[in-house]
Amino acid sequence: MLRQIWIVSALNFRSLKSRFWQSMVIVVGLGATIGVLLSMMSVTAGMRQAYANSGDPGRAIVVSQGADAEGQSSISRADAPVIMSAPGVARDKDGRPLADRALNMGLPVLRKNGTKGFTTLRGFGPKGTALRPEFHLVSGRMFQFGKRELIVGVGAQATFQHMNIGDKVILPNGEWPIVGSYTTGDILDGQLIGDTETMLTALNRTTYNSILVRLTSPDALSTFRKAITTNPALQMTVTRHSDWYKKVSDQASGLLAVLAYVVGAVMAIGALFGCLNTMYAAVSTRAREIATLRALGYGALPVAVSVILEAIVLAVAGALIGAAIAWALNDGHQAVWGQNIFHLRVSPAEIGLGVSWAVVVALMGGLLPSIRAARRPVVEALRAT
Amino acid sequence: MKYIPLVWAAIMRKPARAVLTLLSVMIAFTLFGLTIGMNATFDAVQAAAKDNRIYSAPRFAGGMTPLPLAVTHEIGRIPGVSEVGYQNFIPGYITDPKNRVFVQMFGDNARKVFTEYPITPAQWDLLHNERDGVLVSQYQADKWHLKPGDTLTVISPQVKKADGTTTWTFKVLAIVGDIAYNTNGYIWGNYDYFDKAVPLAKQSQIMNMQIETSDASRTADIAQQIDETFANSPNTTQSITEKAALDISNSGVDIATVDREIALAGMFMVLFLTANGIAQAVRERFAEFATLKTIGFSDAGVIGLVFAEAALPCFLGALLGVGLSALLSSQIPHLMPPSMGTPPLPRVTVMVAVWAGACALFVALSSSMLPALRLKQMDIATALSGR
Repeated sequence: MLRQIWIVSALNFRSLKSRFWQSMVIVVGLGATIGVLLSMMSVTAGMRQAYANSGDPGRAIVVSQGADAEGQSSISRADAPVIMSAPGVARDKDGRPLADRALNMGLPVLRKNGTKGFTTLRGFGPKGTALRPEFHLVSGRMFQFGKRELIVGVGAQATFQHMNIGDKVILPNGEWPIVGSYTTGDILDGQLIGDTETMLTALNRTTYNSILVRLTSPDALSTFRKAITTNPALQMTVTRHSDWYKKVSDQASGLLAVLAYVVGAVMAIGALFGCLNTMYAAVSTRAREIATLRALGYGALPVAVSVILEAIVLAVAGALIGAAIAWALNDGHQAVWGQNIFHLRVSPAEIGLGVSWAVVVALMGGLLPSIRAARRPVVEALRAT
Repeated sequence: MKYIPLVWAAIMRKPARAVLTLLSVMIAFTLFGLTIGMNATFDAVQAAAKDNRIYSAPRFAGGMTPLPLAVTHEIGRIPGVSEVGYQNFIPGYITDPKNRVFVQMFGDNARKVFTEYPITPAQWDLLHNERDGVLVSQYQADKWHLKPGDTLTVISPQVKKADGTTTWTFKVLAIVGDIAYNTNGYIWGNYDYFDKAVPLAKQSQIMNMQIETSDASRTADIAQQIDETFANSPNTTQSITEKAALDISNSGVDIATVDREIALAGMFMVLFLTANGIAQAVRERFAEFATLKTIGFSDAGVIGLVFAEAALPCFLGALLGVGLSALLSSQIPHLMPPSMGTPPLPRVTVMVAVWAGACALFVALSSSMLPALRLKQMDIATALSGR
């Protein structure tokens, strides 16, 4: 049986050359479909990747109850030390808790293409860098605590104007010089960082946005959460940092992902009709060849399978070409979506998804023609011109 | 006229192929209608933007950081500024946090700034006289089943009243018309009512301003001048002209280009499919075309036949596809959950249809070109002998 499938399929592929342009309909159809799908998904995938890099399962973030974003949350000066010294929080070498009060605000910026936009200005406390081993200075120096200074992420530097060391950023009641640049390899790369307490004073604010803590171990989350949520004086939500960023990135890119799937699905339906067309034409032009095989004793099933196999090979070839184009055009490019700055991504996971879409389209597009090929009476087909 | 039965017979020779081709073309044009229609909406929004309006907001918004009302007087003194409208707002929900509403509380001079809104002077007077009243646009009224005289109760955890409660009760004064590009409708209240109801520390504060200039050509300069005026104060502003604010390329991603690329990919697919189909049809019926030429059909006639055979599925598919995209975009609002707003919808305008027609023509022409050339150069005797 398998041998028959093999022989019939091999015969199909040898005759592909004579049906080259016809077969290209499937290749081009799925190439266009998967190319568009993966290009659109490169935005969501890139954003998710940037956020996933940010979220360390060994960290937990505390925000006020009901807040979906750090910007919506506020934590008072009185509550902060209670949270930071709760059980489950790891200690630094100096004995202090590895926890940081963070500030988070929208900063108006001018993009390099001249349009106006926003990015995030983040406040770090003294443990901000100790909490984040992924943080590295690229050039210049770290801002000094108590001074009106900022450092800028490499992504923000690449996207916005006036972000070089020595440039000044306008904040309420003054201009803050940029003294260094940093990279974290995640979503923070598109942001700016300064000293939380100095920023609070300058902004005339009295509350922090969030508190980030290093857990004694990733399993210590429940201990920490219990300590916070059972304290009647605190109305806070504790989330594992990786889960938090997953939620934030899903919010930011959810609609986009839906859009990518809708557009991809519509194109896939178009490609499916093209595939059906081609495979019907293929079995009809090869009617005599197939009938001859059947007359020689080959079963109906190997014939049917070989038709589907041909559709799958063509579709997968198309999907891979489409994926290659999407990869070449998008992968690694710096992108801006709202306040998020990240690199577009066409990763093996997305390419795998594209290929499986192609296989599904080919299965559906090859099935009906394969049944027709297998069921056509041999005598009639042999007489066909 | 004599050609029509011939074209029809040729297409119906392989009905399955004809139908599949048509469906494929239709799907590609549905996508075309949706994406290019989306761009038509962006263009229309941009075109409708007033060129003498500026939106000004606190520069460091970061949530609820307001500006003092006094800022409006200072901006009013800038030469070229003719009117300064202002608002605060109450973000909240009706009974369930999922049912989000947003009540904008405008100062009295809003009627001078929002002249394009379908609100009558009598309705503006109502809003001015009845302090706890709101004007509700048709879209919002339908969404929450409101009619004039109803009570609208909004719970807003973010905006507390002086007595510490978070429940805001409004009287629906009138249902007013929607405005084309404000796809979520609006609920407008009276700023004075808001200002008296909030705690003393929160009074005389505004969230943003709508500034009108007397000279449209200087609007962008005035916007910059406003920001410079407040640059070194605690009340820094961020001003943007309406033209720039409504320009889609300002969002950071050039969605219009993405839309065109998607439409193009679909057209590429269709071109391949149609060209291949027509080439195959001509190859199969080569001898028949030779017969036609033998009995006196001119070169042009035969080529016309081939073109018509290619054009029919293209134009019919374009018509059906664009029609389907118009139908789909009219149905999107009914498919969205009420907790979410309505996104900007594609508008299948005449221009979109014209572009679709042009694309269909291009596909039909370029796919029938090579087969037509082959027919023109054919040697009738050879073709008839089937060699």
